[in-house]
Amino acid sequence: MKKMVVVLTVVMVLAGLILASAYTVFQPAIARNQAQALSDSLASLFQGTEKLTFDRLKTDKMEIYSAMSGAGKLAGYAVRVVGSGYGGPIQMLVGVSPDLKTIVGLQVVENIETPGLGGRITEDAFRNQFQGLDPAKEITYVKNQQPDKNKNQIEAITGSTISSRAVTTALSGTLEEALAVIKEVGASTAAK
Amino acid sequence: MADKSILAEFTKGFGKENPTFVQVLGMCPTLAVTSSVANGLGMGLATLFVLFFSVLMTALIKKVVPDGVRIAVYTVVIATFVTIADLFMRAYVPPLSKALGPYVPLIVVNCIILGRIEAFTTKNPIGASLVDALGMGAGFTTSLLVIGAVREILGSGQLLGHQILGPGFHPLLVMILPPGAFLTLGILMAVFNAVKNRETVVVVGGN
Repeated sequence: MKKMVVVLTVVMVLAGLILASAYTVFQPAIARNQAQALSDSLASLFQGTEKLTFDRLKTDKMEIYSAMSGAGKLAGYAVRVVGSGYGGPIQMLVGVSPDLKTIVGLQVVENIETPGLGGRITEDAFRNQFQGLDPAKEITYVKNQQPDKNKNQIEAITGSTISSRAVTTALSGTLEEALAVIKEVGASTAAK
Repeated sequence: MADKSILAEFTKGFGKENPTFVQVLGMCPTLAVTSSVANGLGMGLATLFVLFFSVLMTALIKKVVPDGVRIAVYTVVIATFVTIADLFMRAYVPPLSKALGPYVPLIVVNCIILGRIEAFTTKNPIGASLVDALGMGAGFTTSLLVIGAVREILGSGQLLGHQILGPGFHPLLVMILPPGAFLTLGILMAVFNAVKNRETVVVVGGN
C-alpha cells in the first residue's frame, strides 16, 4: 500500500517535471509560430499590397486590426470572427476594404473540423468565394450549384455543410457589428 | 524468446500480428485521420514515437511498480510522451499538427500502446520490447499509410497533395468521408487475411 503511494507520487512528480521542461523548450517556437501565423494570415488578406503593418484598434468589443501599406495608406481592416463549427470553434480573419464596402479576403486561422472534410474551409477554393461580397449584408450558401455573387452567396463544401454554414453564419453575425465599431473607433484613430 | 530472431520480432508488426489488420487495435485514428497519406503518416509516426518511448520507460520501471497502480503509472507515462509529441508537432510541424487536430492528444487512449506494454513489455526483456515496439509502430504507420493512399487517390485523385489522376477522373467523395474509411479498412483487411491464410493456417486470436 505504502509502496503504491510512493511509486505513483514519484512518477507523477517526474512526469510533471518532464512536461514542464518540454513546455519551456517548445513554447517559444509555438508562440513564434502563432505570431508568424497571425501576421501571415493578416497579410494574406490584402493580396497585392506590400509591406503591410497592422495595428490593433483600441476597442475591447472585438479584435480588429487596421492595415497600413508601406506607403502609409490605409489598406483596409481585418476582423477576427469566431464561428461555431462541427468540431469546435473556427477562428477566422476577414479583410474588409478601406471603404468597408467589400470583403477582400478570408483566412481560417484555427479550426478543429474533420481533416479532409470540414477542414477544407481552409482551402483557397472555398475562401476565395468570399472576395467581393458585401460585409454589411447577410452571407448565405447554396449547395451543389453556382452561387450568385450579387446575392452574397457562396457554395458550401460538399459533405461539409455544417462547417460551411458555420463560416457564413459567423461572418453575417459579426461583420455588421464590426463595421459599426470600425466606423466609431476608426474615425477617432484616423483623426490623430 | 531466445529462439526467436530479432528480425521476426520486428516483422510480426507488419505481418501476422499487424496492429491494424490482425489485432484490429487503434481503430479511432485509423478511421479518423487517414483521409490523406500525409495525415496517416504523421499520425503513424507520432504513435511510433509514443509507443517506443513509453515501452522504454515502462521496461525500465516495471520492476518497481506495484501491480495495483500499474495501469495508472503506465497511462501517466504514455500521456507524458503524447504531450511531448503534441508540443513538438505544434512547435516544428504546425500544418500537420493543425491537420490532425484533436487526434494527437487522443494517442493517449490508443490501445496499441497500452496493449503492447501489457501484453509484451511486462513479460519480456527490454531489448525484445523495444524491437517489438518499433515493429508494431512501423507496422501501424505502414497500415495508416496504405489506407491513406487508397483513400486519397480514390477520394481526391491526389497522392501527397499532388494531382495524379487526370481531370477525367471523378473523385469518389465517399472515400474521404467516414464510410470510405470503413470500406477501405474492410477490403484491405480481407486482402490481408487472404494473403496470410495462403501462407499459414495457424491463426491465434488477438488480445
